[in-house]
Amino acid sequence: MPDILGWLLDPINWSGPEGIPSRLIEHLQICLLAVGTATAIGLPVGLYVGHTGRFAGLAINLANIGRAVPSYALMVGILPIALNLAPSVGYDPDLGLTFLPLFLAMTLLAIPPILVATYAGLREVDRDLIEAGRGMGLTERQILGRLEVPLAVPVIIGGFRTSTLQVIATATIGAILSFGGLGRFIIDGLANKDDAMLFAGAVLVTVLALLVDAVLAVVQRVLTPRALRGKPAPRRPSDDDDEDRIDPAMFGVRTVDVSA
Amino acid sequence: MRRPDMRMNRLFALAAAMVVVLAACSSSGTTPAPSAASAAPSAAASEAASAAPSSAAPSEAAKAEVRIGSDNFYESKLMAELYAQALEHAGYTVTRQFGLGSRQTRVPIFTKGLVDLVPEYVGSGLGYYDKTLVTGDGEANRTALQAQYDKADNLATVLAIAPGQDTNAAVVRQDTAASLNLTKMSDLAAVQDKLKWGLPPDCDKNPLCKDALESYGIKYPPKVRRALAACDAPIAQALQGKAIDFAWLCSTQPAIAQFGFKVLDDDKKTQPAENLAPVVRNDYLAKVDKAAFSAVLDAVSAKMTTDELTKLGVKVGVDNEDLEDVAKQWLTDNGLLS
Amino acid sequence: MEGQPLVDFDWILSHLDDVVERLVQHVQLSIIPVVLGFLISLFLAIWAVRQPRVYGPVVAISGILYTIPSIAAFALLIPIFGLTLITAVVPLTTYTLLILVRNNASGFAAVPADVLEAAEGMGYTRWERMRRIELPLAVPLMIAGIRLAVVTTIGLATVAAILGDSFGGLGQFITEGLQTFFPTKIYIGAVLSVALAFLADFLIIKAERRLTPWATARAGRV
Repeated sequence: MPDILGWLLDPINWSGPEGIPSRLIEHLQICLLAVGTATAIGLPVGLYVGHTGRFAGLAINLANIGRAVPSYALMVGILPIALNLAPSVGYDPDLGLTFLPLFLAMTLLAIPPILVATYAGLREVDRDLIEAGRGMGLTERQILGRLEVPLAVPVIIGGFRTSTLQVIATATIGAILSFGGLGRFIIDGLANKDDAMLFAGAVLVTVLALLVDAVLAVVQRVLTPRALRGKPAPRRPSDDDDEDRIDPAMFGVRTVDVSA
Repeated sequence: MRRPDMRMNRLFALAAAMVVVLAACSSSGTTPAPSAASAAPSAAASEAASAAPSSAAPSEAAKAEVRIGSDNFYESKLMAELYAQALEHAGYTVTRQFGLGSRQTRVPIFTKGLVDLVPEYVGSGLGYYDKTLVTGDGEANRTALQAQYDKADNLATVLAIAPGQDTNAAVVRQDTAASLNLTKMSDLAAVQDKLKWGLPPDCDKNPLCKDALESYGIKYPPKVRRALAACDAPIAQALQGKAIDFAWLCSTQPAIAQFGFKVLDDDKKTQPAENLAPVVRNDYLAKVDKAAFSAVLDAVSAKMTTDELTKLGVKVGVDNEDLEDVAKQWLTDNGLLS
Repeated sequence: MEGQPLVDFDWILSHLDDVVERLVQHVQLSIIPVVLGFLISLFLAIWAVRQPRVYGPVVAISGILYTIPSIAAFALLIPIFGLTLITAVVPLTTYTLLILVRNNASGFAAVPADVLEAAEGMGYTRWERMRRIELPLAVPLMIAGIRLAVVTTIGLATVAAILGDSFGGLGQFITEGLQTFFPTKIYIGAVLSVALAFLADFLIIKAERRLTPWATARAGRV
């Protein structure tokens, strides 16, 4: 049994550019960037598709590609392209090695949960409510902003949670291309046959992911409109294609009281 | 009311059946090389595998089935395929279990007796057990490695080494070599701070990396360092793409020829001799005529020079030919399949 | 990788048997974890519905298992199970648990309380109620979870290439392509795993339609 606790308690491992705090920050930085970019892409698309119902099949299938493509292969496949583009686009080839492949692979990984959750959340909103809004003279944008989104917020944040969890867990592969982050402990531990470092790294990743997830769970609950908390999700007959109906429960939204 | 009930039952039955069927299908882990077109008649030697070891003159019955393993990269698989085809031609039945991961995973598999024969690089193979014993002399490494196996309850025999080696190569781009006047590793000390160094993650603890660099007067760790595994595609690409200026590659790696890199001469001889040699378990050797068995493999080893290894590497790595075809062609060209 | 055509179709055509072999390996690598994960999570979900206090810890543990990076998981398992299918299947199965447990539990919980009361009134035992009412009505949610688990596992299964030739699946193509600078192998590996994911998703949807015929006739359903 490797001395994981010993490794974690050793003050040497907490100092310097190769210590736990620096690696933690590097890890959080790339995760934030990737999830942020994914949100900037996935949220608007999800809002559009969810509100209008158009292109739902296409959007979801494209999103599934992001899930199905193996991140490691994507990252290592992007590497030569990122390196070759450096001189013409004008960035340091070092970025093409350590940052771009990981960033792009993680962003692609992070988009599907956000996009799909946004779409699903919007679809769950009662159609009658939207019709009523139109009847009252609200513009489409107002309907989206004042009716649909607030009601869909718990599901959307659920997607955000899933996305963040996946990125935190997977960003460890960046260490293969010399990126830092918590993956550094795992890869270096493996290379140096230092089991304590290896498993300590895994533990750190897990703990980080759970902490962030717990924080986001609180955010999710806080932002859920009080009216929706703890009530069964109403199942409405909707006129869109059933096969693309995605259940909000997938994103950790517990809209039902389980104490039956 | 009954229909959903029966559907659920059927779903579970289907799921259970699938699990059982798939578990059965996957229980056999051996995948013989897909397009191996071996012209050798294979003797009915599988019964011999359970027969008592024979020390008499070679006979059909003494050609027990041999399980050959390899690491999960092309050169190891290539050597294993060469051994396999040569042995098949000599009348042995071969089971191929290639791609057993890296040395870290392959060694326990060999030690546990799940395979009988593996190709090994005598320097790194010795270094796995004791880094301090590794030298620049191939035969010395072989003897020391054999001693390790003898200590481990006479586990295995290291057969004759090939002249061919695949050792660590210190590599830079041609433009770097030209502008900084680099031909040998001793030239690096003067310009060390101008370079971005691509070093493997285990460099700190690896005497072949850290100690070797320090013996050339390079301050460790270098000012700019990127952690990249040696010999892999990413480090070769990083070197070519100018993200790094120095890389540890493998001397027979096709990328060197492909990208026109310059290999710096290891003038202080810091890198180990990495001659290839077959390592075979003694409990397998006891089942066959040791002399005859070794002779087949020695013939292959004798003709395998570093040049040949590099040429074959280009065929597999650049021309994308199949390992089995490349192996067969080489054996034929060298008169080993006649 | 310079000077090479992007995709060498001749190579693909002449190596179709290898491609098929890897595809089959990959299907094995993907189906087994999902089936096992489903059975385990079904059990856990039923338990969580019976004892609601179990739900939190179960989801938390699945979450923990999910975040263990696959490299570390393999490093842990290879010394125990060696380079066998089990080593690949165990982490892939645990990764599916997070998705499936949540969905299965929500599926059961979503059964309207009055329906359950009616069943009790009609004299069903708890087990019969589970089998005849809760399970069938939970099917749509469970299948949504299975879809997600299948697609994700197909992508994740490429890491099994670490186990080498016998179980590498499509990931082995990708690894070999990377080692020998042969982009065609990389593309075949990646494209086929995506295509496989889409095919699996499509088949599951079709299966769902047949398993829940009442869902397609939704008019008037509350």
